[in-house]
Amino acid sequence: MSQIIVEQPQLQPEVSVETPVTPKPQHNGARAWQAGGLAVLLVMLLGGGLWWLRPHPFHGVLLQSPERAPNFSLTASTGAQAQLSDFRGKVVLLFFGYTACIDVCPLRLAELTQTMNLLGKKAEKVQVLFVTVDPLHDTSARLQRYVTAFDPAFLGMTGSPAAINAVTTQFGVFYDQQATTASKAIGHTSTVTVVDANGYVRLIFPGGLSTEEMAEDLRYLIAR
Amino acid sequence: MAELDLVVGEGGPAGIAAWPIGKTKFARFGYGLIAVLVLALLAFSFFQPIQVLPRIALGPGFAFVDQTGQRLTNEDLRGHLVLYTFTYIGCQAPTCPQTSQTLQLVQQQLTKIDTRGLPVDLVTISFDPEHDTPAQLATFARQLGADPSIWHFVTGEPATLKNVIGGNLGLYYNRNADGSFTFDPAFVLIDGVGIVRAKYRMAELDPAIVQRDLELMASEARNSQGAARFAYEAAHLFLCYPQ
Repeated sequence: MSQIIVEQPQLQPEVSVETPVTPKPQHNGARAWQAGGLAVLLVMLLGGGLWWLRPHPFHGVLLQSPERAPNFSLTASTGAQAQLSDFRGKVVLLFFGYTACIDVCPLRLAELTQTMNLLGKKAEKVQVLFVTVDPLHDTSARLQRYVTAFDPAFLGMTGSPAAINAVTTQFGVFYDQQATTASKAIGHTSTVTVVDANGYVRLIFPGGLSTEEMAEDLRYLIAR
Repeated sequence: MAELDLVVGEGGPAGIAAWPIGKTKFARFGYGLIAVLVLALLAFSFFQPIQVLPRIALGPGFAFVDQTGQRLTNEDLRGHLVLYTFTYIGCQAPTCPQTSQTLQLVQQQLTKIDTRGLPVDLVTISFDPEHDTPAQLATFARQLGADPSIWHFVTGEPATLKNVIGGNLGLYYNRNADGSFTFDPAFVLIDGVGIVRAKYRMAELDPAIVQRDLELMASEARNSQGAARFAYEAAHLFLCYPQ
């Protein structure tokens, strides 16, 4: 009994020791190749995924408001009544100023015109709204002449002084109400507020951003 | 890719014995890398190495009059970290919440707070312009020991006040028939670009929380540049908020 048991283990090693020495590592090698390849693929996929998910380096000041931007209803320069919510599906650029403004308003509107040109066909997905802070002088007709001189797609917005006061307060815009006469310059906040296609305030463009930087941020918002 | 090409090139009889070990290590390294990345992401959202305050909403735009009769606007406070509260001088303890007491404590502790050189302002907005004239506000400020260079007491047109407090900040206040006011006691923290970063709906606020939040805002404002900006954005993305 004991002899048979001893012989059998002796036989098996004799056969297996000689031949499998070379195939065994080859087999392991192939597996290692597969495993290695898979690992490389996974790393590349993960890396690619992370790269795709990487935060866009916004040039504007970012917000992540959990609530939609406050809605408002004003008279558009076309003469029709318009609400902010009418522009859902488009990125809205809100800028406040007045037509008699000689410094920052034409400058900023010209920058926005240039930004729209940089966007090309994507500019269709963006709506510029120019809200007057001088509602006593800026009629719809006057606003229409003013904004379309920059870009025919731009819209002016006006309303009662009380309505304008409410909108500016909501959007963090100061304007000098004591100076609302045509003869005097009206100091006002000159940042551009960006409301995304779903109606959330997403960005503030402070002064000093280049048109290409604004266009880059807008391209990202349009794509998402 | 270059590494793979090298492997194929050296895949001769001599290479066979050496590479399996190398490849196994390489595979392990790959899996290890994935595990480390996943763990790092989990650890980041769990341990929150960087904390931030949420960027809640656009703060109000306004032009008020302060206790010296000067105009104070949100543009004047651009670049400053500002803690706001709302009350009226006729607000009597114990029935009326004394929000000014918190600002008094914060003012005392301001020197201990490291705001990285960013100026801090305190603003008490009175929603009773009829009684709280600039002169009355100046007396009130003196009684509280307010430093006029830091702590502003302001009021304005009733419509503007309603737009700012009720409209933009969403805080309730209402005048009663006897001239007193019913209101939600609250404090609001607004950053240098005019974004609301914290809203504390309470009558008393622990100055330690104000200190923590001012320091978080200050360090983000100062450090969130270049590569660090991605880390701060990740902190916003993973909601790494205090508490």
